[in-house]
Amino acid sequence: MRVEILEVLEGHFGKDKDITVDSHMMDDLGGDEFDIVDVFVQIESKLGISIPEEETFDIMTVSALCEVVERHVGSD
Amino acid sequence: MLGQIKLVFFFMLLSGAAGGLWYVQHLKAENEILTLNNAKLNDAVEQQQAVIEQQLRDIEAKTEIADQLAKNNAKLTADLELANEKFNKVNASGERRDVGNLALSKPKSIERIERKREQQRARCFEIAQGSPLTEEELNATKKSQINAECTNIANPNYIPY
Repeated sequence: MRVEILEVLEGHFGKDKDITVDSHMMDDLGGDEFDIVDVFVQIESKLGISIPEEETFDIMTVSALCEVVERHVGSD
Repeated sequence: MLGQIKLVFFFMLLSGAAGGLWYVQHLKAENEILTLNNAKLNDAVEQQQAVIEQQLRDIEAKTEIADQLAKNNAKLTADLELANEKFNKVNASGERRDVGNLALSKPKSIERIERKREQQRARCFEIAQGSPLTEEELNATKKSQINAECTNIANPNYIPY
């Protein structure tokens, strides 16, 4: 599942970016708040899940992103 | 005979005096005309100087207007770039961002972002009107810490990367 998340992140921010679980989507990957919402929409579409919006607020790091996605994979 | 010669001399002297008088009168008349012409020329010079001064003032005013227009243009360009970044950003895969679609999929998230940006815009106006920068604004060096609406005035220590 992390592979899919990484694919989405690379597709969105660029393969040249050094994306790790510690990466901050704004500070390290250069995104903005809209990019983060966009990434969630793409991940939901790719994995066929639905994540309540409230759970995505203030998520900035890849690790937090993975965590919230993992909670919903299989539960949907 | 001598009387005739005297008469001739007398007429010559008389005609010479009359000629001299006429010449002096003519010079006086010419002098008056020249004085009048000179006065007219002086008036014309003054008028031309007034016109030149007015033209200089007009040029100055036009330069000020041009400067103001250039400033407005720069601001509009910056605003347009900001709007482009916000609404038309293209991701690494070449897909253009569609804020409208995002708002349909995640309305609360987009509303939250817009509310935050609105607060940032209000803060921009405060700063522009002279409000001092906070420690937080001065120390902002990361993208997640900045005021995205007016970074250049709100976060002087932020260097875009």
